Amino acid sequence: MIRISGLSVSYGAVRALRDVSLDVPTGQITAVIGANGAGKTTLLRAISSLVRPAGGSIDFDGTELVGMRTEEVARHGIGHVPEGRGVIEEFTVLENLRLGALHGRGKLAAGLETQFELFPALASRRKQHAGTLSGGERQMLAMARALIGEPSVLLLDEPSLGLAPIVTRDVMMTIRALCVDRGLTVVLVEQNAMSALQVADRAVVLHLGVVAADDRAEVVRADENLRHYYLGTAS
Amino acid sequence: MDAFLTSRNVSDILHGLVNGVVFGLVGLGLVLIWRATRVLNFALGAMATGGAYLGLGLLSYQVPFWWCFLLAIPAGMLLGGLTERFLVRPLYGKPEINPIVAMVGLLILIEAVVGSIWGTRQRSVLPPFSYVDFHLGANVVQLSPLAVFQVTAAVVLALAIGALFRFTNLGLQLRASAVAPEVSRLLGVRVSRMLTLGWMLACGVAAVAAVIVSSGFISGLTPSGMEGPFAAGFIAAAVGGLESPTGALVGGVSLGILESFVTDYWNPNLVLPVSLLVLVVVLMVRPHGLFTRQVVRRV
Amino acid sequence: MSTTEPRASHEAASLAGPPRRRGAVREIARRVASAVVQGRRRHPVLSRLLVTVLAVCVALVVTGLVSGVTDLDLATGAAMSIVILGLSFLTGFSGQVSLGNGAFFGVGCYVFAIFANHNNTSIGEDLLVCTAAGALAGLIVGLPATRLRGPYLAGMTIAVAIAFGSLIDQFSTWTNGDQGLNVQSPVTPPAWLANFIGAPISSLRATYMWRADITVVVAGIAFFLMANLFQSRRGRSMRLMRENEVAAELVGVSLPAARVTAFVVAAACAGLGGGLTTLVDTTVFGSLFSLSLSIQILTLLVIGGIGTLSGSLIGGLLYAYSITWIAELVSGIGLNSTSNLSSEMNNIIFGALLVITVLVAPLGIAGTLRFAISRRLAGRRSQN
Repeated sequence: MIRISGLSVSYGAVRALRDVSLDVPTGQITAVIGANGAGKTTLLRAISSLVRPAGGSIDFDGTELVGMRTEEVARHGIGHVPEGRGVIEEFTVLENLRLGALHGRGKLAAGLETQFELFPALASRRKQHAGTLSGGERQMLAMARALIGEPSVLLLDEPSLGLAPIVTRDVMMTIRALCVDRGLTVVLVEQNAMSALQVADRAVVLHLGVVAADDRAEVVRADENLRHYYLGTAS
Repeated sequence: MDAFLTSRNVSDILHGLVNGVVFGLVGLGLVLIWRATRVLNFALGAMATGGAYLGLGLLSYQVPFWWCFLLAIPAGMLLGGLTERFLVRPLYGKPEINPIVAMVGLLILIEAVVGSIWGTRQRSVLPPFSYVDFHLGANVVQLSPLAVFQVTAAVVLALAIGALFRFTNLGLQLRASAVAPEVSRLLGVRVSRMLTLGWMLACGVAAVAAVIVSSGFISGLTPSGMEGPFAAGFIAAAVGGLESPTGALVGGVSLGILESFVTDYWNPNLVLPVSLLVLVVVLMVRPHGLFTRQVVRRV
Repeated sequence: MSTTEPRASHEAASLAGPPRRRGAVREIARRVASAVVQGRRRHPVLSRLLVTVLAVCVALVVTGLVSGVTDLDLATGAAMSIVILGLSFLTGFSGQVSLGNGAFFGVGCYVFAIFANHNNTSIGEDLLVCTAAGALAGLIVGLPATRLRGPYLAGMTIAVAIAFGSLIDQFSTWTNGDQGLNVQSPVTPPAWLANFIGAPISSLRATYMWRADITVVVAGIAFFLMANLFQSRRGRSMRLMRENEVAAELVGVSLPAARVTAFVVAAACAGLGGGLTTLVDTTVFGSLFSLSLSIQILTLLVIGGIGTLSGSLIGGLLYAYSITWIAELVSGIGLNSTSNLSSEMNNIIFGALLVITVLVAPLGIAGTLRFAISRRLAGRRSQN
């Protein structure tokens, strides 16, 4: 379980996160939703130590993550699929996956087999450069690359960005399945609140860097006020 | 036989090959560093000289050639690693001019330190290869065992570097750190270590180039002796686009052969001006070099 | 502390006028300073002219008082400061780095010597010719600069600096290669200057004072012109180019033209500095124009402070006196003056200084001082 307490992050004079406290329970999907600029991505970047918090702590099963280097956080079993997916376009699909498996816990061969089973579209493109993939395929590759290291936590930043609704639904179902089948802990950052709430167990609403709500997903989904004020989605 | 392949032209080509591989190796070193850290290492030639002299320095103690050759590589790598760690790292993210100026300062500093220890006299290590040209029947082929050794050493090194990058996990991480440092860190790659390693590799490669220069029968090496090869290596790398290791190697060899022709048919003093002209013309036509593949970006 | 003081008391203090306890001398100094500031703001060109004339006059008096060796040092420093000033404009305003200004300097040196030897012209004409020759060389090298950026450009200029040596060899019928070229005709000062100093021409032939005088006056003119360029609308909009090219284009800077112009100006300065140097030294040796000369020019610029007038002056004087200082240092620590270490000491010190400056004080001496002073002034202002 990840326990975040009193986390604050500033970019110069701008406070991106203010005294954020929340728990990410093991084996569940925690959706982090909110409008643009609410601090969702910053939260994930703080967990991965890509930004240095001004204060607060991030405890991961008894290990303090604040102050740890990004690469060490990754080696502690926290996978992070960044916004815009971050596939290395100059690399082939296979090379991207090899890189993902390098510092993970599993073996490359077994991992490749699992991932190609999970994302069959990648199997036929393994020799292609990632730059030639479609948006959905890139999302799959980015997830496969994170999963092949067999992390215990997966941080997903806007997986639906730029995807067709039907592809988004597939991605969400895959995330759900991973969570159910393998006990993976997922932090799902989404602007597309509705699709995230459909698969999440819990939901945290961020508004201008502050936690506005933290509850079970169906409660948040049912709350008209939240939807109206913070999520900007019409019912 | 083709009219072009007269014995004069063939010997020019063979001659240019030796210089060309030196340029190519220097260019390769520049490309490796540029790709990894976006710094153009103006001190690369001097660092290579430093590495070579550290190896050569042993020669005065009657150490055999092969030991010098082998020691020059780690010596160069050490210089490269220290430079990245203590001089370049504080300058990441600073204005572009800062690392340029710092590298230039390092260039004269290393040349001066080498000169103050070993003097500015020309030094050469004679390798255990003959400089007498081969004979093919009654004809002299302008190629000596020494030249064969020089070219072979360069080619083997280039292939080894290529294999390292292409087939090993270390190479995969080196490349990933260069093109996508943040993503690499998210996947657990220790990027800063990779950058240091990239500098070490590049300077090791350049040190081999310096040893090849110093093992020439006539040329030898002086503390500032790598300035010319550096300029040519830069031109080779820039013609290739500063991104492509293959481009740097091909560019280096082509430039070496071109220079050989200019020297033979025209005037040795015009070698660098002509090379410069080539660079300018190429960059006017293709500002990103001949070998840079424009990555197709799809959204 | 004032920063925590409520604003009301701050305003009350300023309404009450200057505190009475402030001494009369300080008050006068303050008035003079504010008058200078006001004057500079209202008549910038005139005040620059005044400052320049004042500085040149002081320097001229100094040349008459000091020894011949110091005159030589002064002349060398003043000539080099023009070269550095040109590079300061190129790097500080257009953001381009040139490692080839030693070559432009060399063009100036050789053109001065060759032109003076072949024509019976005045020193002024000779200097104009070598300035023009430098500008032409700058145009040739600068044209590709419209397409090359940062490291590509720096790499190209480094190749120019290295290639210059082989060009000297190539034209050795003109340059006399490593043998060195002597300047015959302009070793005599013009008659009016000799009259002014009040000594016969023949006795002045071997002295340095009149050479230092000419150099100082020319340097004054060059600094005055460049100061106006630095502060002109065009100059300031070019400075923007270094920070943000898009913004510079928006305020109407044509980037290619500005790049080439900067190169031409820098090279013209280098050519002029080279001509003056030859006037002072009366010989030109090909071995001087190695890569390390170009690097030394850049070093002096960086240590002095990029983009400032005073930085160039500091750099020039550093160049002139460093040779003496380093020689003293070498003998001071008991080094054998013919040893390898002492002959390399110059480059060791300059290389190390360059590296340290970039790491510790990238603004250089002038920039760091200016920064510190403006911070102190700001601090004092908030205290009042």
